[in-house]
Amino acid sequence: MVEAKAERRVPYLLDFYPLQGEEHTRIHPFFQHLQEGRLTTTRCTACGEVLWQPRVVCPHCNADEMEWVDLPQVGEIFAFTSVQAGAPKGMEEDLPFVVGIVTLKGTDMQILARIEGDEESLEIGQPVRVTVERLADGRVWFRFRTVEA
Amino acid sequence: MVGTGLTHWGVRKATLKELAQEAGKALFDDVDNLPKAEVDSLFVGTALAERLAFQSYVAPMVAEQLGIHPTRMLARTELACVSGQLAMKMAYMAIATGLSDIAAVVGVEKMNLPDMAETQASLAAILDREWEGVAGMTAPPYFAMVAQRHMYEYGTTREQLGLVSVKNHRFSATNPYAHFPKEVSLDQVLNSPMVSTPLRLLDSSGITDGAAAVMLAGEDRAREFTDTPVYIEGAGQAATGNLTVNLPSLTEWPHMRRAVRDALSMAGVTIQDMDLAEVHDCFSISEIIEYEELGLAEKGKGGQFIEEGQSEIGGQLPMNTRGGLLGCGHPLGATGVAQVVEVVQQFTGQVPQERYVGGTWALTHNLSGNANNHSVLVLHRDS
Ligand SMILES: [Zn+2]
Repeated sequence: MVEAKAERRVPYLLDFYPLQGEEHTRIHPFFQHLQEGRLTTTRCTACGEVLWQPRVVCPHCNADEMEWVDLPQVGEIFAFTSVQAGAPKGMEEDLPFVVGIVTLKGTDMQILARIEGDEESLEIGQPVRVTVERLADGRVWFRFRTVEA
Repeated sequence: MVGTGLTHWGVRKATLKELAQEAGKALFDDVDNLPKAEVDSLFVGTALAERLAFQSYVAPMVAEQLGIHPTRMLARTELACVSGQLAMKMAYMAIATGLSDIAAVVGVEKMNLPDMAETQASLAAILDREWEGVAGMTAPPYFAMVAQRHMYEYGTTREQLGLVSVKNHRFSATNPYAHFPKEVSLDQVLNSPMVSTPLRLLDSSGITDGAAAVMLAGEDRAREFTDTPVYIEGAGQAATGNLTVNLPSLTEWPHMRRAVRDALSMAGVTIQDMDLAEVHDCFSISEIIEYEELGLAEKGKGGQFIEEGQSEIGGQLPMNTRGGLLGCGHPLGATGVAQVVEVVQQFTGQVPQERYVGGTWALTHNLSGNANNHSVLVLHRDS
């Protein structure tokens, strides 16, 4: 788990983190699952495609019946970069930070997120695991953290 | 095209509205025998006015600044970095369909704010803000990962990336309108501050304020205003959705290949017929991949192409003679229009000798977002 460094005080229109409750979004189970430490997404029950991001309508077959499925919690780094300057509002104190694309184990699905770990030793192909980021206001997001192979 | 106008680009002590006025003045000074009342349409390309100037409904605001009263079409185009070229294309469509006889195009962006982190937040919202911007993704981290993969897959070198910046700054040094009118050495590029590994400050286009404008008229009226009209002969665009992880590849841009192919084939020419090109060098790596997707370098050999000087004047195809985005800066909505301005000024001999190519055929290319969208124009002047 990653605790956010400090409470972020930004106006709603500069707040990157989505509103997560049932009253705001139809994919609120994604955030509930994440609260429990599970990274999940929607799978179209008509054509079987696992979709990222989670959706309410399937872009492949147009069906709107979805089920929630767990995604692999581990994967490999496909690409990454250490951001040293030019952080968006609210993230200035995070600098430097690493953003990367991770290929989830046993799939061709890729997910983009922050990567926690020793920046100097990161490399393409390195194994990582999902970790939950907890915001001071109770919302959650996800990052990856390096693990031993 | 029958006339052009540019403002000075840079960290300007001027508002969005004032930049629009300056571009309008430059344009109407250039087409000085065209009464404003004859301009029946206005297309305004601007990407982030809502966030960076707290101003919506931008097209009428620009009409107010220019003192024109459109009687046929008035529209604002927003497609991030392609906003300006899209405004050009809309004006072309309006004229081609007979909806307009004379149309003005203004591309404008005010990007430098008292708090740069607010600008960066707005730029992050060009990517999918909820799923990718939230991780701190903006353009530099995206293109940094593209560079990392291109180096990993094809062995492209740090020096090859740097040579793009050296070339484009050599051109921008001849351009008094550029944000960075100064040559840089390879050493300076390789030692400039790191932005997002492996890309450094001099691999990156600037955060720039500026505007550019073009006047279009139908073929039947163009010669009333100039002896050397430049025509849009081809247009192409191809795109996919905006989620980075759902792109077909980081290092191959098939949508660029498609847009280039369609624009050239519409004009009935090939890439070998081009005398110059303005391509979207938002980062040094972008131009290297563009050599490949234009079909001029084999996949993975873009680095070699710049090393051999093939995109210099005298090479296979001179590119970004105005200085590119690296040398001129990148006021999002203005860039696509300014590229066309450079072509018109090249064709009509209005550029300094150091970067003069002339010619009669040119291609301009813009990409936007995470290179998920590419747009191309093919321009021609009668010889
Ligand atoms: Zn489906």
